[in-house]
Amino acid sequence: MRVGPSVRQLGPFRIEVGQPSGAWTLAVSAVAIFAAFIAAGGIFWAYGVNPIHAYAVIAHDVLVVPGAFPEIFRSTIPLLLTGVGLVLAFRAQFYNIGAEGQLLAGAVAATGVALFTPIRGPMTLPVMFAAGFVGGALWGLLPSLLKLRLNVNEVITTLMMNYIALYFVSWLVTGPWRGPSVRGFAYTDQFPLSAWLPLIPGTRIHWPTLVLGVVLAAGCAVLLARTRLGFAIRVQGENPEAARYVGINALRTTLLVMLLSGGAAGLAGVGEVAGVHHKLLDPNQVSLGYGYTAIIVAWLARGQALATLITATLFGLIYSSGDVMQVSLQMPFRVTSVFNGLILFFLIGSERLLAYRVRWAPRRAPADPPASAAAPHRPSGEEQWE
Amino acid sequence: MRGHVSRWLTSAVVIAVLLAFIPMGYAQQKLKVGFIYVGPIGDYGWTNAHDVARRLVEQQLPVETLYVESVPEGRVEPFIDRLVAQGAKVIFTTSFGFMDGTVAAAQRYPNVIFAHASGFKRARNLATYMADFYQVYYLNGLMAGALTKTNKVGYVGAFPIPEVKRHLDAYALGVRAVNPQATIQVRWLQDWFSPPKAKEATQALIADGVDVFAFTEDSPTVIQESAKKNLLSFAHYSPMYKFAPKQVVSGELVHWETIYLDFLRKVLAGKYSADNLQDVDYWWLLAEKAVEVGAEPGMMINPLFVSRLKAATVKTADLGTLSVYDLVQRRIAQMSKNPVAFDPFAGPIKDRKGVLRVPAGQTLTVAELTSMEWAAPGVVGPWPGEP
Amino acid sequence: MGVVDWILGVLVRGMALGTPLLWGALGEIYAERAGVVNLGVEGMMILGAFFAFAAAQLTGHPGLGLLAAALIGGMAALLHAFVSVTLRANQFVSGLALSMLGLGLAGLLGRGWEGFPLSNPLPERSILPPLGALLAVAIWALLYHTRWGIILRTVGESPAAADAMGIDVALVRYLAVVFGGMLAGVAGGFLSVAYRPSWTEGMTGGIGWIVVALAIFASWDPLRAIGAALLFGTLFHLSFRLQAWIPPEPLQMMPFAFTILVLAIAARWGARAWRAPEALGLPYLRGER
Repeated sequence: MRVGPSVRQLGPFRIEVGQPSGAWTLAVSAVAIFAAFIAAGGIFWAYGVNPIHAYAVIAHDVLVVPGAFPEIFRSTIPLLLTGVGLVLAFRAQFYNIGAEGQLLAGAVAATGVALFTPIRGPMTLPVMFAAGFVGGALWGLLPSLLKLRLNVNEVITTLMMNYIALYFVSWLVTGPWRGPSVRGFAYTDQFPLSAWLPLIPGTRIHWPTLVLGVVLAAGCAVLLARTRLGFAIRVQGENPEAARYVGINALRTTLLVMLLSGGAAGLAGVGEVAGVHHKLLDPNQVSLGYGYTAIIVAWLARGQALATLITATLFGLIYSSGDVMQVSLQMPFRVTSVFNGLILFFLIGSERLLAYRVRWAPRRAPADPPASAAAPHRPSGEEQWE
Repeated sequence: MRGHVSRWLTSAVVIAVLLAFIPMGYAQQKLKVGFIYVGPIGDYGWTNAHDVARRLVEQQLPVETLYVESVPEGRVEPFIDRLVAQGAKVIFTTSFGFMDGTVAAAQRYPNVIFAHASGFKRARNLATYMADFYQVYYLNGLMAGALTKTNKVGYVGAFPIPEVKRHLDAYALGVRAVNPQATIQVRWLQDWFSPPKAKEATQALIADGVDVFAFTEDSPTVIQESAKKNLLSFAHYSPMYKFAPKQVVSGELVHWETIYLDFLRKVLAGKYSADNLQDVDYWWLLAEKAVEVGAEPGMMINPLFVSRLKAATVKTADLGTLSVYDLVQRRIAQMSKNPVAFDPFAGPIKDRKGVLRVPAGQTLTVAELTSMEWAAPGVVGPWPGEP
Repeated sequence: MGVVDWILGVLVRGMALGTPLLWGALGEIYAERAGVVNLGVEGMMILGAFFAFAAAQLTGHPGLGLLAAALIGGMAALLHAFVSVTLRANQFVSGLALSMLGLGLAGLLGRGWEGFPLSNPLPERSILPPLGALLAVAIWALLYHTRWGIILRTVGESPAAADAMGIDVALVRYLAVVFGGMLAGVAGGFLSVAYRPSWTEGMTGGIGWIVVALAIFASWDPLRAIGAALLFGTLFHLSFRLQAWIPPEPLQMMPFAFTILVLAIAARWGARAWRAPEALGLPYLRGER
């Protein structure tokens, strides 16, 4: 987010300075998505499908068809949990790309509890979630230590940790953890029933995880806005120099943020194995790229923990739309990659418009989220996750 | 500006909602049949073969087909929901990993007919089906045993699961029936589709002295790679002869359409309903023409290798001494009858550790075949889960 | 078989997979030296693979296929340059989007092209591997011994300083990203016209992501990239060669573990030359600094 001097020179959009950023962000994003729809319409057209008809079918089959609507939230759940954690990390200027691996680590930890400990009964699920949180947090520990101690770029180390997690899970399910009851396939045994998350009747939404996600989003919003740690995260993220002056312990802040961020992704992993699969399986089948999509979810939320509720749902909607394109319009699955790629390009392309907006400005309307009100400015406009 | 934006947003939402309620589609007379694939149609292997069959079905029967490709295991249920919402009355799920999801969906939609490929769980509205290659692998093994000069034949396997182990064992038994000195060298990919892995696994086998290749992977990589060294190979799943016309000896071809056509004809005739599938299991082999020996439809053995196979002789217990070419032909004839006059897994068979797995005078049941974990004698290499 | 033969055999195999890794990594290094991360390598490579196959199949000339791959790779990279340089959008997200778009487009366009061998493939070992090594040396010479190299590195280290020197930062970044994309395209083309001369949906199978790691593992040095590519390729081959003794996963995991290790070692003991370009991943807006 660029603030301060650069705003002065920004031509026709100058007039808009000082308006509430939330509405503007929503409006620009909506226009960007709309533009992406038009561009994607070209693909439908190339496939001989009338784009208007295509979107009508999508809207109908995503929202109206019985049973379809709840399905949106099944992919929202992992995106929400992971996205909230990433918002925290990005606010502290820790660019955690490793949610995918942290999610898998959480799934592994939960599987370990479900299958290889004697814990049964009502305590199983809480212990699984706790273990998953610890697993995800530990998976993020090495990159954060490297960053803090040796100043190693965390984008790269967290990305590498994803692959290490991937091969680790693959080794587990083909090797030591392969279940005796799965006829030689690369799965663990199925979890005992006490390790299955309950579903909302009539849907496949494992609601405890969803509740956990909403609570976490709210909790992180409060944490950022109202607590000392939140203040430290904001200051450190926006002006590390200032953070040092006010005596903020960078090591402690970053470590805490990273533990929370990795832990949240780990919770998402627990939700997937305990709520969807009920076993550990090929890593690509567990995470489905949620860890990467969550980066976009968090980035679109622009530092607001509560906004992930919207952005994660948006991506749940996009996932569902992709399903509908394949089933109802009988299009190849790669259409969804093109569609998602286009939406992303238009969303980040529209950033330029947003850059002219002041969201965490010093003179703000009272309606602004308190999270940003006290935040000091960064010295320059070169940060990436805005 | 704000007012403008919100007006614009409002109208967009209104339009979207209006569009959403436009009634879609029209009354369908044809039976709708859904297919759920695990991989992309473009894999030129398992999923491609199912899709070829789907298109044949649509040509030959008064049905309309729908498909979804590259479906992750955990998402098979929502896709079944959507296919049912589209009006599908018959749904085929074509991967072992879809089993539990299909079972759950079959309970939820008691009036929809389901059929699951390669699984073992059935219900009153859920059948199972499989076009299996073990006989064909045995026949390929007979040829491989005659053609190897280094006495090392190779097998690039996808996953060490019973299906692949069964094929590998049948192949190994075929090789050893002709060439008791030969060993069967194995490498695993832990992947159904990965050209780079298949390529390096092939190279690793070449380095070990292997000169004839068979494989389970959804691309022609093993064939292309071994052909560069002028080494022989057997095609897998799709017609791959054209990838190395001078080196491909034979192979396995599948005709899923035989099963789909039979099943759907019985559905259309009212013979199969959502009530009587509890015991319907298609385990279709050579006799049912669900599988074919060859690397190209209609070409059982590459003509380039016929003379070499005719020159090699082999002594058998039941047919006396004859050429390998004749042996292959006789075995095909025996296995094309129903019931079969020969089975590759006829006892006595010991595994490579010397444990008796099939007693004399017996053959394996389908359940035993589909849970096979032991390694046949002559197999060399890692064998995860070996009993 | 002697030990020397065994090692040589393994290295030759390392070179086969090392070749697309090297070409891709050289492109990534080149772009990153100018300060632009491009995570779209997988997308550019798969586009390159498809266009190379299609062009080679239609014209009968695998060389024309590689040319087509370079062009499409460059065009895809141009999109990334536009979004990340001109629009100054987040480079990481833009790269992810490019990967999705590339995989999607190649998958759609490639429908019906699978199942045919390339009639006139390029030899796997004799052309692109040595050319890649030469290219690495050339890029190294370019970066460290020419004026253009100084300009490029300055843009990557300190765009504001470059700007003050009168260098058009955006133009330099555009050129670097597009050239990098062309090399990624060729890397993909190598897969479909030489490495495995045919087209299959998704045939890059994640090699593009290894390329991203490799560029870092080589600490942004084209010469080190040669050895790094060879090492990664060799490890991949060894995971099948040694399968009787070691499960494949630990070996396939190693490139990624090594990359972390190298970063840590470089950060602890390495010289400045081992570190990332200062302005890597940061958009530049004149007058902000």
